[in-house]
Amino acid sequence: MALESREIEEYLEIMYRKKQKGEKITTTGIAKELSVSPASVSEMFKKLEKKGFVKHIPYKGVTLTRKGENAGRSVLRKHHLLEDFLMMFGLKKRRAHRDACALEHALSNEAERAFERAAAAAKSGNAKPLCSLKAGQKARIVCILGGVGACRRAMELGLTKGTVVKVLRISKYGCPVGLLVRGTEIAIGRGIAEKIYVGVLE
Amino acid sequence: MSRITVALAGNPNVGKSVMFNQLTGEEQHVGNWPGKTVEKFEGRLDFLGKNMLIVDLPGTYSLSAFSQEEEIARDFVKKQKPDVVIDIVDAASLEQSLFLTLQLLEFGANVVIALNMVDIAREKGREIDSKKLSDLLGVPVVQTIATQGKGIQQLMIESVNTVHRKKKAKRTFPKSVSKRYEYIHSIVKKCQKETAVGRTATERLDDVLLHGYSGYAFLAIILLLMFFLIFGLGDITSGYITQLVDYFRQNIPPEISSNALFLFFWKTVVEGIIAGTTIAIPYLIPFYIFLAILEASGYLPRIAFLTDGLMHKIGLHGKAFIPMFLGYGCSVPACIGCRIMESEDQRFLTAFLATMIPCAARSVIILGLVGAFLGFGWAIGIYAFNILVIFMLGLLFSRFVLTKPIGLIMNMPSYKMPDVPSIFRRTFLQIRQFIVVAFPIIILSTFVINVLDFFGLLDHISGFLSPITVDLLGLPAIVGITLIVGFLRKELAIVLLAALLGTGNFAEVLTPLQMIVFTIVSIFYIPCAATIATLAKEFGWRKAAFVTVFEIVFAITLGAVAFRLLPAFGLF
Repeated sequence: MALESREIEEYLEIMYRKKQKGEKITTTGIAKELSVSPASVSEMFKKLEKKGFVKHIPYKGVTLTRKGENAGRSVLRKHHLLEDFLMMFGLKKRRAHRDACALEHALSNEAERAFERAAAAAKSGNAKPLCSLKAGQKARIVCILGGVGACRRAMELGLTKGTVVKVLRISKYGCPVGLLVRGTEIAIGRGIAEKIYVGVLE
Repeated sequence: MSRITVALAGNPNVGKSVMFNQLTGEEQHVGNWPGKTVEKFEGRLDFLGKNMLIVDLPGTYSLSAFSQEEEIARDFVKKQKPDVVIDIVDAASLEQSLFLTLQLLEFGANVVIALNMVDIAREKGREIDSKKLSDLLGVPVVQTIATQGKGIQQLMIESVNTVHRKKKAKRTFPKSVSKRYEYIHSIVKKCQKETAVGRTATERLDDVLLHGYSGYAFLAIILLLMFFLIFGLGDITSGYITQLVDYFRQNIPPEISSNALFLFFWKTVVEGIIAGTTIAIPYLIPFYIFLAILEASGYLPRIAFLTDGLMHKIGLHGKAFIPMFLGYGCSVPACIGCRIMESEDQRFLTAFLATMIPCAARSVIILGLVGAFLGFGWAIGIYAFNILVIFMLGLLFSRFVLTKPIGLIMNMPSYKMPDVPSIFRRTFLQIRQFIVVAFPIIILSTFVINVLDFFGLLDHISGFLSPITVDLLGLPAIVGITLIVGFLRKELAIVLLAALLGTGNFAEVLTPLQMIVFTIVSIFYIPCAATIATLAKEFGWRKAAFVTVFEIVFAITLGAVAFRLLPAFGLF
């Protein structure tokens, strides 16, 4: 059972990655990536469909359902976190990636959050979360926890590692934080501001 | 000669719709992207003897397919392979805009950059050397100010030239987001000169409009103003239309108007059309115009900023505040307003909650029944109870049913004067689209109910419903009819109630407890036909059916609980 659920997660992760890249989910594509036979992939698709993770439309192929997408995203997020964490301790990217592939299935959501906090503390030294700054302060981004969903969006808007940001507006009432990033004003919600660690400059 | 397809791509708030409007003028068409709830704007342009199809892609920051909009934009560029992609770049935030540009180049798109809003960039002290930017990226760059029509001619000439140029190979750029931004930064440094300027008008305005006290005060004023104008204007127009219809009706010769066949036709077909025109359209037109003004002026993101903390408590974020607030007026614009939410889940949750907010018609019941006969305090109590229930449902649904909310991240654009022609044109197109989709449904449901009424079947139905109305809710059996008619127009429920009970003095026929129960059921019970039609249009029939069934069951449950619990607490 445990082995099976691990296999399922592996499939969902790959499918979610493919969806993100805009690639089509095909039996042969997945078979190649996991180095298994196409027959066992289609068998797995049937299993996944029964569990409501994917939908199979004849002549159109397999697509992830929302349930499948959420599960895939969660695995991928854990993968990124573990990979990050292992590399921080000096592992090479390749090794970190492989180990993360193995460990990601064993990590509970609670453990994920604990890892996140530890990673932040280890990485950032005296860095603090962005939401603890005052208006007018400038800071350099040290790390962004997560990396999927909202955090990814933050990066796409220019909040990348090493970027200097200036806090324009910040309030006590859980309002978003107003930032000047690369010459543009951006507002980010509290939840994301807590995940961005910065080193204060002035 | 073959037609040239031109796609407009760009971040939200870079003046894409203004540009689209400038290019296409009258020749526009609005529909939905296949299988999506996102609107698709298309238009035609004849330029230098070339026939062009202009497609306005949804505004996105990237093409990584996190949201429906991004997926649409990416699929269009990747699969439909438009002849030219005009990438509208915000000159005032060049770095962020170029992120999308690189992705477009990666997909091998034939890109022409419109360096838009150079006037705002200048205000911020930024001068961009477009020749240099063009050399660095290897694509044509044209400076434009879309709102004034500047540079558009040149932009189209470049676009036409680009079609004939040899297809470029797909380009590759650094893969990781941070490396990519380093690359962009190095480009921007080479072509942008920055001079220090004082604080811009936008910054100074934001000091007031985003301030802890004055910001909220201003927000309250804007919202109240908008609310009263939409419903004030709507009421006036609606009243005139009703008068006009009455006038026509009175002038029909009696030998025709007393004809049974005519009466039948009038009640079943004409009244459906009247219902649609008097309920929805008068409110929708000012609504669309106001929403477009809020959007185009740059104030919409500020509203989201101010209300984000509050909305987070129910699993939504700041942008959801606007549709929820509009729900107090009418559920139809509220559901449509949910389009401003990014994810499908959030869009649906917002619409679902907004349909339970008492609209103006339901306020008639609250004020006309509870307010008038039990006192104003009780009416306020009903409103408070409604907010509490919505809050709890929001908490429950966001926690157990839907995915975790994506936090708020948005660009805060500079304030701008809205472009009037493009606002009106867009409103016209959206109203036309609404009529096409919603009217048949409103007319059909009016037809069905009035046919039932015509043949006296409604009485049978109320008898059939009596286990619910009488046994569960403790209401008179005849009330069942009002609940059915309420499906058409909520405010009609109370009018009909008076007619059925034979008196407008409800205190004679209903106990205070019955009034409370009836009001609670009416508020939460089933969205009206126009709302269901809108839900179906926005989210598909399955979700519309879910909302309808859920709200019927939920309203009856709440009513039944109130009927039993309130006396137990010694009230009534």
